[in-house]
Amino acid sequence: MDAASRPAVVIDNGTGYTKMGFSGNVEPCFIVPTVVAVNESFLNQSRSSNKANWLAQYSAGVMADLDFFIGEEALSRSRSSSTYSLSYPIHEGQVENWDTMERFWQQCIFNYLRCDPEDHYFLLTESPLTAPESREYTGEIMFETFNVPGLYIAVQPVLALAAGYTTSKCEMTGVVVDVGDGATHVVPVAEGYVIGNSIKSIPISGKDVTLFIQKLMKERGENLPPEDSFEVARKVKEMYSYTCSDIVKEFNKYDKEPNKYIKQWTGIKPKTGAPYSCDIGYERFLGPEIFFNPEIYSSEFTTPLPDVIDKCIQSAPIDTRRALYKNIVLSGGSTMSKDFHRRLQRDLKKIVDARIVASEARHGGEVKSHPIEVNVVSHPIQRFAVWFGGSVLASTPEFYGACHTKAEYEEHGASICRTNPVFKGMY
Amino acid sequence: MILLQSASRFLLQILQNRLISSEKSVDLDCHSVEFDDVRYHIQFSVKSPQVMLLSISLPIPPPETVFVNGLPLGAIEAVKAAYGELVQILDPPKDGYNLTMKLNFTKLPQDEEQRKAILVKVASVREVVLGAPLRMILHHLASRTTFPNMGQLIALVHRPKESFFLIPQVEKVTVIFPMRFRDSVDIVLATSFLQEFVESRRAAALSNAPLCTWSPTPPQELKGAPPDAVAANAGFVTFVIYPRHADVRKLDKTAWSLSTFHAYVNYHVKCSEGFMHTRMRRRVETLIQALDRAKPEMERTKKLAQGNSFKRLSLKDGRGNSIS
Repeated sequence: MDAASRPAVVIDNGTGYTKMGFSGNVEPCFIVPTVVAVNESFLNQSRSSNKANWLAQYSAGVMADLDFFIGEEALSRSRSSSTYSLSYPIHEGQVENWDTMERFWQQCIFNYLRCDPEDHYFLLTESPLTAPESREYTGEIMFETFNVPGLYIAVQPVLALAAGYTTSKCEMTGVVVDVGDGATHVVPVAEGYVIGNSIKSIPISGKDVTLFIQKLMKERGENLPPEDSFEVARKVKEMYSYTCSDIVKEFNKYDKEPNKYIKQWTGIKPKTGAPYSCDIGYERFLGPEIFFNPEIYSSEFTTPLPDVIDKCIQSAPIDTRRALYKNIVLSGGSTMSKDFHRRLQRDLKKIVDARIVASEARHGGEVKSHPIEVNVVSHPIQRFAVWFGGSVLASTPEFYGACHTKAEYEEHGASICRTNPVFKGMY
Repeated sequence: MILLQSASRFLLQILQNRLISSEKSVDLDCHSVEFDDVRYHIQFSVKSPQVMLLSISLPIPPPETVFVNGLPLGAIEAVKAAYGELVQILDPPKDGYNLTMKLNFTKLPQDEEQRKAILVKVASVREVVLGAPLRMILHHLASRTTFPNMGQLIALVHRPKESFFLIPQVEKVTVIFPMRFRDSVDIVLATSFLQEFVESRRAAALSNAPLCTWSPTPPQELKGAPPDAVAANAGFVTFVIYPRHADVRKLDKTAWSLSTFHAYVNYHVKCSEGFMHTRMRRRVETLIQALDRAKPEMERTKKLAQGNSFKRLSLKDGRGNSIS
């Protein structure tokens, strides 16, 4: 039986979380933090070794290539013992550390999915700004180490668009607002092709929301253990945060009825084991607010997300703009906070309407333009929309034809991964 | 992770989410594939959230193995013995699968520990079904009873269209694995891995482990086997299992380790490839650093000032460069 008859493995490596599973499923099998706990002590020891305990170190060194953990296990291991150091292989959407990335994939395949990589086609994802070299590197690892029969490296925003493919219509034109843990991109896609020169990225991402929440809680003097405060802030963000329509009103609401809005957080200090509790107040809505009013968080970058989206669409070819406004798709875990899409749609609509009014005023009211439809699409699978898109794509029969195969790799080398069909014409 | 776990992580995760942390019940219908082409199909419905339909398909058996109604010998009995009143085997199984079971979790014990143990057992369904004939033979070995096929070659499936061989005797069971790999690099790595594997058995700490030998040609015992089944490109590994390896406490572990031996070797070959890549990458980095140091001062500053070190790659160049 050949590999094309088995479902493909779809792995979406994000900065914060990795989503992995088999094509044809609705949900990824596993969502784990993209983190590796490595035990580097062996490597350093063996350099300065003397011959006496060579054998002991030799056998320790033999085990070193297996002495690491990924995901939740990695986090708990590094907390309980100091021999493991955490390494985050992906930084701002780009793979930084290929060693740990390779190990991460190894565990994903053998320990989590428990499949034989030689039996399955693979679909991996990359951010739209990934350099061709790193795509080559990915191909090299996949074909050389894991012997995969075929590989497809898809662009995340296109997959996020494809995630809406099944629901009603096959709309492959739209703007994808991808707010991940490490990177935020606004990517216009027309007919399945990325408009490369209109991609906008902003330096505020999910991690910044977490940092901001952490800062707010620290400044208010909440009783948080410092070594754990980042993790707590992340959990607070994931569980309680929401987007408000007006900050001033929201502040008033909290002040009037603190009991209703202020939540409690209880935990156990990791070092001493003593229980503690703290309040969660304004940070519930101030966290996601940094996308709409970035000046409250950073002084360097002050353009709100709706403005960036508007600029992005305005820089796209003129005949696609209406279609782009009509289909703005959210993806990534950080767009999950409640009412994010409503706020985005309202703010964007305001900008667009203002422009129409201004242009009508310029023409002295002689020319009436069609109103522009602004539509921000939100769906329940937003958190792993990219993965779902990959799952849909990889379950179509055409997928196996579009893959780079092992035979091609052996014939031409890793450069086959350089070109990506959705970027054709760019290089 | 050195050994593969017997419970499927995915299946276990679903069961725990469903039955222990009582996640809100929605329809669930998913597929999963494991190494050696074992497939699962898991279904939960809203109407009866405590009932799971689990279908499992096994690797296609080669002609020399014995399969009864699409299942290895004794699999049905093993399933019934393992899950007791939880399970109801549906006949015929779902299309494309070898076995469909209806598991009813309303009768789970209240005790947290026992619950978990049962869920782990359910997640290890692969071991229960595929390992049934092997466990039966090991069981006979442990109790030193005889059965009709004593001393004859028995073939058991472990990979699609591949089998491994057992020769049960009263005092010992000889297990022979023909090792096959697809990739030429894998063959070389696996061969040296297996030689090392046999070598490390000689260490004092492992004196109680089963005897283990590796040979590049089929051993004597395989004379009666069909020639297709004994063609292997990475040699043959032979284990000799004694009754002490098959007593009640060790039986499950021995059966699991034997039936996933190929997957184990495959996993370690991939690991060592990854480790070698890491070392190669480090080496290249240090060499590049050395080259950088050797550059004359002039050249370095000139490059920076002009800033035209960027060379546009044509498609031809790209191919030439990237192979290195």
